[in-house]
Parts: sequence; C-alpha cells; structure tokens
Amino acid sequence: MIPDLTDMLASFTRPMDIPTDPASMLWMFPVLLAIATVYKATKIRVVLLPNFIRQVVILFATVSVFMVFLGVVLIFFVQLITG
Amino acid sequence: MKIQSKTDHMLLMLVVALAAWAIPGAGHFIIKERKRAVIMFVAITTTFLAGLYVGSIGVVDKVGAKPWYAAQIMASPVVGIIGHVSENTLDEQGQRKYVVYGRCNDVGQIYTSVAGMLNLLCIISAVYMVYCGRGEIIGAENDDT
Repeated sequence: MIPDLTDMLASFTRPMDIPTDPASMLWMFPVLLAIATVYKATKIRVVLLPNFIRQVVILFATVSVFMVFLGVVLIFFVQLITG
Repeated sequence: MKIQSKTDHMLLMLVVALAAWAIPGAGHFIIKERKRAVIMFVAITTTFLAGLYVGSIGVVDKVGAKPWYAAQIMASPVVGIIGHVSENTLDEQGQRKYVVYGRCNDVGQIYTSVAGMLNLLCIISAVYMVYCGRGEIIGAENDDT
C-alpha cells in the first residue's frame, strides 16, 4: 500500500515525454472538455444530467470544430507566406 | 438556514468564496448545489492533476513563470505548497531538482492554469449565487426553477 502510494506520488515528479509534433495538438481536447463541462455547470440554471451532458457535448463539439478550423486556416496561411 | 442580516450575508459570501478556493466545488456544496459541486470538483481536480502528471510539479514555478503561477494558484492554496516544494527542492549541485522544459512543460502549465481559471469562474459563480439568494436560501437545487 505505502510503496504504491510512493510510486504514485513519484510519478508527479517526472514529466512525461511529449514530442513536439502535430499529434501533440491533440492534448487540447481534454482541456476543451474540462472548459465546456465547468462552463456549463456554472451557466445552466438547473442541473439535470441528460440535459447537462447534451449541452456539454454540443459546446465541446462546437469549440473543437472551431479550433480545428482555425488550425487549418493557420496552416493554409503559413503555407501561403512560406511557400 | 435564514439569513439574519447584511453582515451575515457578507460573511456567508466570504465563507463560500474561501471554501470554493480551498476545494473546487466546495462553495456550491455549501449552498446545497451539490450536483454542480461534484461536477466542478471532478472536472477541475482532474484537469489540474493531469497537468501535474504530464509536466511534473516543476510546472508550478513561482519564480520563472509568475503569470502562469498567478493562474495556477486560483485552483487551490495547495498550489502554494507545491510551488514551495518545487522551488526549494535542490539536487546535489544545488540546482532546482524539478525543472521541466519543452512540450510537456507547455501542456502541464496550460492544464494547471486552465484549472485555476476554471476554479476562479466557480468561485465567482458561487459568490454570485449567494448574492442573488439562490441555493442556500431556497434549500435544494431541485426547487431552483
């Protein structure tokens, strides 16, 4: 039990290895989900779980699609300037 | 519980704000918005811990990354302790032991800072609910229609 706890705490002192590649952009999606969840939790008047989940999914999808769109536009813009 | 006076109301707002800062979601829990409180606690704590796991406690850097630290400290006062440990733990050469660079530092700082900013939103939300007389006075969130 104690060694397990020590190992778990030790894992918070060693950073993960995340390469600087396009795939690392996928790390934005969990944080977008957290933002959508907390925002909706503060925003909706009554928390009824099915409605809450639906609203979170809609907001998460909307923000995600916009972020991907923004990424595509920026890639296009960079290629326009450099290419 | 009935609100007795303006002073009691102010005191309640202060207690709710401090509780919400100390533990994410605790402000809403006090005013009996329990579903909201659980959702906030899980979302904010998971985001913060994910940031610490990805970047290690080195992402809490109150010397080299003050603006990030200002956002991170909003998640909980515990961040202050983490920052103290991160700053004062030295290796054999007397250098900071928990220093992190690169993409894992970026991701860790973004996650922990976003968690802090989300908790600030929850603190404001809880205090505003007390100010408006929602939650605690009504008694239960089911009645809050």
